[in-house]
Amino acid sequence: MNTWLRVAAVLTLVALGLMVWSVLVPTPLPVMLAMTVGQAIGTAALAIYGWIVYRDVARKKRDGAP
Amino acid sequence: MSEPLTTAAIACAVLAAILLVWFLVRRPSLTRATKIVLLFAIGLLPIGTALTGNYAGYEATKQRRFCGSCHVMTPYADDSSDLRSTSLAARHGRNKMFGDENCYVCHANYGMYGTVKTKLGGLRHVYEYIFNYRNVSLAEARATIHIRDAFQSSTCMQCHSTLNPGWNAVPDHWSTLDRLRAGTLSCASSGCHGPAHPFSKDDTKAVQR
Repeated sequence: MNTWLRVAAVLTLVALGLMVWSVLVPTPLPVMLAMTVGQAIGTAALAIYGWIVYRDVARKKRDGAP
Repeated sequence: MSEPLTTAAIACAVLAAILLVWFLVRRPSLTRATKIVLLFAIGLLPIGTALTGNYAGYEATKQRRFCGSCHVMTPYADDSSDLRSTSLAARHGRNKMFGDENCYVCHANYGMYGTVKTKLGGLRHVYEYIFNYRNVSLAEARATIHIRDAFQSSTCMQCHSTLNPGWNAVPDHWSTLDRLRAGTLSCASSGCHGPAHPFSKDDTKAVQR
């Protein structure tokens, strides 16, 4: 589980890098990369995080159920 | 570029990066506190970066220097920036309200879906540049790049309404008013106020509609 969270963290860093690049260098390539690849990677990272948290909550509920 | 938006985007990104590096280096167990930290690091702060960064990027794509960053547009951007030029584009480039965005203001589509159409058109420009114009000379680009649709006088009429008595007092204006408002005559025609980019036109021909 923590491995996937680490993957999500690294993906988020990549996405943040692309977005900051587009903000600092507003030329066509960085802007397009940030708004396509950056957004996709960031969304994937958030989805991984959400899935991990959901699985963790579900497991705790299952373990806590009588 | 909008400074507050740029600052906000970078601030959110830096804060998120700090939290993410902390998580990657310290490898904390998945407690509630860690989940909340990651919610900020992977969710809220990057979303803040994306929202502010996207808007800053959108505003940046309206700037003349963005349009001029492709080499085929350099002569157009340079002419617009030239304080000695008297071309239509250059005179509008000196307007304090929108001079830095004069390419966008004149060439954008308007109306309900205008922004969407303009941005889709921009994507087409990127496609054409990457696949067809990236390595062409300025001379070849000048000869082959043409405006896709006829320039609409309605763009000029956003500011020059054609309703002022002073405007209508000019004989050439009131005599062509119907055609201007119908869109069958362009304000930027040769012989009237154009062409907007005279260096790119053949002076012996009027702009074809």
